[in-house]
Amino acid sequence: MANVYEAPSSANPTATSAETDCAREPIHIPGGIQPHGYLISVDDAGRMVQVSANLAELAGAPASSLLGQPLSQVLGDAAALCLNEVGTQAAPGAPRFICAIDDPRAATHGAAGHAPLAVVAHRHDGVTIVELEPAKGTADVFSSVYPLVQTFLRELGENRTIDQLAQSAANEIKRITGYGRTLVYSFDDAGNGHVIGEALDASYPSYLDQHFPGSDIPPQARALYVLNRIRLIADADYQPVPLVPAMHPATGRPTDLTWSSLRSVSPVHVQYMKNMGTWSSMSMSIVVRGRLWGLISCHHATPRLPAFETRAACEYIAQMLSLQIEAKEDRAQAEYRLELRDRLSRLVTAMTDSERFVDALATDAQDLLGLADAAGAAIVFDGQITQVGLTPDASTIERLVAWLDGQSDEVYATDAFAHASGEPVNPDAAGILAVSISKLFRNYVIWFRPEVVRALKWAGDPRSKLASLSSRLSPRESFDVWTETVRGRSLPWHAAELEIAMELRTALLGIVLRRAEQLAQLALELSRANEELEGFSYTVSHDLRAPLRHIAGFADLLRDMEADKLSERGRHFVERIIGSARFGGRLVDDLLAFSQMGRAALRIQPVDLATLVSELVAEQQRDHPERAIEWRVSSLCTITADAVLIQVVMRNLIDNAVKFTGNRVGENDSAIIEVGCETGRGELADHDVVFVRDNGVGFDPKYMDKLFGVFQRLHRFEEFEGTGIGLASVKRIIERHGGKTWARAQLDHGATLFVALPRRSVAPDLQARETPAAAVARIASVSTHGRPFRNVRKPSE
Amino acid sequence: MLRPILLVEDNPNDIELTMIALERARLANPVISVRDGAEALDYLRREGQWASRAPENPAVMLLDKKLPKIDGHEVLKAVRADEQLRRIPVVMLTSSREEKDLLRSYDLGVNAYVVKPVSFDDFMDAINDLGIFWAVLNEPPPHSS
Repeated sequence: MANVYEAPSSANPTATSAETDCAREPIHIPGGIQPHGYLISVDDAGRMVQVSANLAELAGAPASSLLGQPLSQVLGDAAALCLNEVGTQAAPGAPRFICAIDDPRAATHGAAGHAPLAVVAHRHDGVTIVELEPAKGTADVFSSVYPLVQTFLRELGENRTIDQLAQSAANEIKRITGYGRTLVYSFDDAGNGHVIGEALDASYPSYLDQHFPGSDIPPQARALYVLNRIRLIADADYQPVPLVPAMHPATGRPTDLTWSSLRSVSPVHVQYMKNMGTWSSMSMSIVVRGRLWGLISCHHATPRLPAFETRAACEYIAQMLSLQIEAKEDRAQAEYRLELRDRLSRLVTAMTDSERFVDALATDAQDLLGLADAAGAAIVFDGQITQVGLTPDASTIERLVAWLDGQSDEVYATDAFAHASGEPVNPDAAGILAVSISKLFRNYVIWFRPEVVRALKWAGDPRSKLASLSSRLSPRESFDVWTETVRGRSLPWHAAELEIAMELRTALLGIVLRRAEQLAQLALELSRANEELEGFSYTVSHDLRAPLRHIAGFADLLRDMEADKLSERGRHFVERIIGSARFGGRLVDDLLAFSQMGRAALRIQPVDLATLVSELVAEQQRDHPERAIEWRVSSLCTITADAVLIQVVMRNLIDNAVKFTGNRVGENDSAIIEVGCETGRGELADHDVVFVRDNGVGFDPKYMDKLFGVFQRLHRFEEFEGTGIGLASVKRIIERHGGKTWARAQLDHGATLFVALPRRSVAPDLQARETPAAAVARIASVSTHGRPFRNVRKPSE
Repeated sequence: MLRPILLVEDNPNDIELTMIALERARLANPVISVRDGAEALDYLRREGQWASRAPENPAVMLLDKKLPKIDGHEVLKAVRADEQLRRIPVVMLTSSREEKDLLRSYDLGVNAYVVKPVSFDDFMDAINDLGIFWAVLNEPPPHSS
């Protein structure tokens, strides 16, 4: 690139505008050519309409006198046959070799000093541009070229790497051109050049492995180099040859010399060459997939004019090198893609087979990291961060995720995260590749690459160029090695890695979607099962309850109306029938209430426990006026729970305490029931713990696990009546609140029952939602013993 | 002539127990018992076998939820939708303690919802209270004949 630098020669810009001016330089219309050849524009009638001024030497007449004349006027009849083909073979784009002719002067003045001329031509802007360049001979140019490139051709098959190929190309081009130094550059994404191959004579300084800043070649020059693949400057001291007339005869504008091989270059570029100690240069483009991949650049300390055939051979080598690089890159890419695809399919299989796909990803760390050639990865899913390999800490990842939320791309990659985000450099995560599975739910897979500190050798400090531009526009003068240490960067992410990351995203979405479908299916089945259960409950409620009611009813009637006709035993049997039927009815009612507790929606609201408990205590005192119970109710908290259900809980606990202290009847042996509230500790932090303690019969702790079971009784029926549903209801209700139940007891030394309820925030509108009828229905449906409301008995008749 | 109490009930055991309970409540009102929802509507609309009954509406209708042909809720809905019948007091007298049955009854405009207690004594109390309230104490809506 150093030898192809082109910049404007006029202008007196400031340092900051220098590059801009450079980028605006219309280098395709320099208004002249280099003096080592001749240029002739020919119209469709075969007449010359614009010529280079030096054509006068060839024609022996002033250039202006040649305008309007046929081409043979200059080249002589000898070349007529060859030149006839110009009209038929010239095409838009790169100049085609038409033929080689003898210099017309050779016929009269002898061949000495008058080399043969290669004729190349191309169509542009409605005319055929014919260029004549010095050649070795008039033979078929291709037969001359082949011997020049055959060594390189042979080496193509032997060299395995791109760098080896580049070195071969440098060697061969230097050998056939005789240039003192040949460099092969590759460009990175930013356009910076890196010298990967070099062949040089002993007197030339080496640039191997050095970097040239991308600004050395302005964008329009790069665009030109993609089109016109070879450029030659034979003598840095050349005087440009103007065109006659100066303007294009058809367009009236300066002639566009984009494709011309003789195109004159900017004087500043020539200065740049001289700064490098170069008096002749030639460069060939390496174009891969339509992009300027690199350059082959030749320098010589003195003027040098390679023959046309040599130049053609160099162009040919550059072309072959381009194709080889493309093939090798394609192949390497294909192999790498195949490897990534294998990894992806292993990951997808593991994820599909696994209960949680995050686990599958984390378990197969080798494939997960290999998928992006990363050192670490983090899976952010359902609010959890799973880290694999070398990653930043969780809080850094959280910040990163928050930052990623602001990025719109589904796949985001940077090899300089600190630079992109403004965060300090993290050596473990200099580069990140992030795939967002869902922005809404903040689900990401993120890969990390560590910092790679690189020492870049620049051919001269790239920054000094701008500094030196302040007074007089001039290319940089120093090409001394200047080493820059690059920090905060990882290796760049490969296109294949970004593509596979995108595919992983698609696969993940598919899995998440399938999971969601399965969940939906499960929910459907569950709701069906629930409906069946409800149907069953309903049947129990209505159909099982009715016969129990009838048995009890008729037995009651039998006792009331026919008792005197029965024996003592018969009356005893009737009592047993009545008792059993009523108990059966209670069991049914309790079971229904219990199932209702599991089904009814929770309506969480603040509940003043003090009021609730004092009402329940008053109720007990009304119901059991004969009992002397000492109530110890300490200051109670306000909890957040379903008021109806929590009332069932507290009623059951207090009922139990009253029931199981029934044995304490002595004057110095009164029942003590304590109700209290404390703050949960440990895993129950953020819970309110409510307890009811009694000094009743207690129970043997070895039956603890049965305490909260459905229809489990720890005492004989005759001692304490009950269906055994009370504590099971307590447990179910508390569990539905996300809380916990437990007990402490000793046989004959009382029991303490605990319930822990999580504290929650309550939406303020929740309390207003339940209508009075709905509340009544709910209270009725969850009340055990079939009695939502207390029966107020009439005074007996 | 006192207006009748209409009992809509299909289970003979329940009919018998309810009749005994009503009897014991010593109400002077006659009790008409019909066996399903269709017959209840026939009675109320004076159609079919009830075409020639006296024109006055019952003092109260005791309606079971679960009935053959047309169930209790449908009967209730039809009554509330009928200009001639919609002011008749309706008491659901049922075995069901299901929340949704209760809610639906109230939504359809029931006047009272009574779950039949298992104990006959309790059942008798309930029937007694109902009878006294609806047949004796309650002032029937005007022009409801």
